[in-house]
Amino acid sequence: MGNLLEHMGVERDRVHFSWISSAEATKFVDVVKEISEKVRALGPNKKFVKDYN
Amino acid sequence: MKFITIDKKDWTKGIDNSRKTYQLFGPVKDEKNGCKITKLDTNVLPDMDYHESVLSAKSVLFPQTETILTTSLNESVEEHHVMKRAKNDYTPRAVLGIRPYDAKAIGLVKLNFDTKEYRDPYWCDAYEATTFIGLGITRPGPFDFSTSVGCGPFCEEGLDILLADLDDKYLAKVITPKGEAYAAACGFDTPADDKESQALFDILRKEAEKNISTSVDTLNLKEKNLLDLHEAPFWDDVAFACINCGTCTYVCPTCWCFDIQDEAKLKESARFRNWDTCMSPLFTRHATGHNPRGAKVQRVRQRFMHKLKYFLDKYDQGIMCVGCGRCVKSCPVNIDIRQVAHTMNTYEKKD
Amino acid sequence: MDTCIQKIRELAADLLERGEVEKVIGFAQGTIPMATSPISVGTKQGVDNLVFNSTCGLNLANFASRQKGKIAIIAKGCDSRNIVTHIVENQLQRDQVYIIGVPCNGMVDKFKIAALFEDEITGFAEDGGTLTVSSSLQTKTLKKQEYLRENCLLCTHKNPVLYDVLAGELVEEQVLENAFPDVDKIEAMDVDGRWQYFQRLTQNCIRCYACRNACPICYCPTCFVDEAGPQWVGKGQNKTDVDTFHFLRAFHCAGRCTDCGACVEACPMGINVRDFTRKLNKDALELFGWEAGLDISKRPPLDAYSPQDPDDFIK
Repeated sequence: MGNLLEHMGVERDRVHFSWISSAEATKFVDVVKEISEKVRALGPNKKFVKDYN
Repeated sequence: MKFITIDKKDWTKGIDNSRKTYQLFGPVKDEKNGCKITKLDTNVLPDMDYHESVLSAKSVLFPQTETILTTSLNESVEEHHVMKRAKNDYTPRAVLGIRPYDAKAIGLVKLNFDTKEYRDPYWCDAYEATTFIGLGITRPGPFDFSTSVGCGPFCEEGLDILLADLDDKYLAKVITPKGEAYAAACGFDTPADDKESQALFDILRKEAEKNISTSVDTLNLKEKNLLDLHEAPFWDDVAFACINCGTCTYVCPTCWCFDIQDEAKLKESARFRNWDTCMSPLFTRHATGHNPRGAKVQRVRQRFMHKLKYFLDKYDQGIMCVGCGRCVKSCPVNIDIRQVAHTMNTYEKKD
Repeated sequence: MDTCIQKIRELAADLLERGEVEKVIGFAQGTIPMATSPISVGTKQGVDNLVFNSTCGLNLANFASRQKGKIAIIAKGCDSRNIVTHIVENQLQRDQVYIIGVPCNGMVDKFKIAALFEDEITGFAEDGGTLTVSSSLQTKTLKKQEYLRENCLLCTHKNPVLYDVLAGELVEEQVLENAFPDVDKIEAMDVDGRWQYFQRLTQNCIRCYACRNACPICYCPTCFVDEAGPQWVGKGQNKTDVDTFHFLRAFHCAGRCTDCGACVEACPMGINVRDFTRKLNKDALELFGWEAGLDISKRPPLDAYSPQDPDDFIK
């Protein structure tokens, strides 16, 4: 899914996949931090966003 | 009614003049797909030499998606949650180079949208705002069977002006006051002799009609028993190949069905209508889940029965088909309305 | 292909006469040039309506499932691969279908040919590798090989992969240096270039769903776009909704698409719908070594778990 989105022109760093157990609190924090940084660096998404009349 | 000639050297200037008071629609070449009939940007001229457009001109009055009502969900705004008519643009518009069969189709659609009891305000307002400038078809394509259904390459029905292409100039038959107003807005006013011009139109029409290679006999449809046709055994064969896509209904200039949808984003909400297609199972599915046309064969039958029988019986204005042949050409599995009409027209119930 | 159609008719007549099958699904000549229409033949007399030529571009596997009784089906390479997929996905039992395999030399691209003419095409004939196409203004003689559909040009399974009988000699399969030049071209663009490419690709889409309905693997009883409770996607011509349909439909085809080209064949607007699925086919091949519809005993990659499955994408 990530590959096809990227192929269609949606930046790779907008879509993240992770497997985090409920016991892995620090991993969860790390992953969320990383995602936030990557998405912030890309700026607001304008693709696949529905413009409203 | 009068005739004028338009030198092609003056064409662009005249069209540009009319942009001051009209928004223009017309055929535009598409990089891949023939031509589409769409709103013309101010620097775009209609492509008057096009030979086909996959879609008809019906979208000028009946866009595939059209906002009809809007409201605000913000409770601090006055009259929130009250649906109000969308502010669509109904200033004068003109559609250039429309095919005669597409113009005739608009007359058939009008029977549905503008009745004694009900007037569809969106379609009718757009209709009243529009001037139709048709272009006679000198070389009808192999799918054109318009002469079989009360139309033809130079049919004037539904048109305000009919143009004939005479290489270096257009000969224009100005049919209605709307047409006169548009010609005046362009500054086209070189008169042509009425008698000679009409004679020329007649010749062109006859020449063009000679090139129409297929005909369909629909004369018996009127007297056929509706239920006999409905129960006829041939529908399974007609429907076998059908994949139930909506192509035939979307390319058809006379298909008028629509579906209504509501959408909201944040505090703004709108109701709009989309073209619908009787080929889709959703078209008739009830809220209970029951579907009176649950099977493909029922839907295929519906399309042809509506066009060739129900419409005829209800309005007595001929069949609901103008013979443009678009569905014949675009159908992915080549279901041919000419054949189905023939089958229905010649069907005799066996006891 | 003349000899092949004779053989197809003989085989079909024999099967019907012996009562081995109740009907034969094949192609009939269309009413307009370059068109054929799927047909179901139930009597020996009806077999003369069967044709096979370079305009049989749809996929007959689409017509095979949900039929009652035993049927025979005329299958090109891609049709046979979709029959395999149907069997793997339990849409069809192997013993329900008698496959008349037809080695295929490719189907012609109707849009490519139509683009050569200023007016409508009025005649189409073929003789071996030569096509004669005419309109009211001109007649052209074309080499079929130059006007094949893109998926046929890149086809490496011209011969049926599963059949009960063959209606022609097997043909030589081509070996491609690069099976995905089209995907590579898009991948070479930058991210906004790709976005623009796909925006342009679907700009004429009218959501008739011919692509979906012609697709043999799009057999869901209710497609996600038709689902009304909950509604997954807007129904209008809003570009985001249009693209959502194409993107999600393609994704549902991951590891299942045989690149038969039926979607492109059916599209009235000339959209190369394959541009979506091709990327997934490339991924399926590179990540899982998988091509859909080659073997009825193998489970598709997204249907089975293996510890060897690539998992670089996951943190």
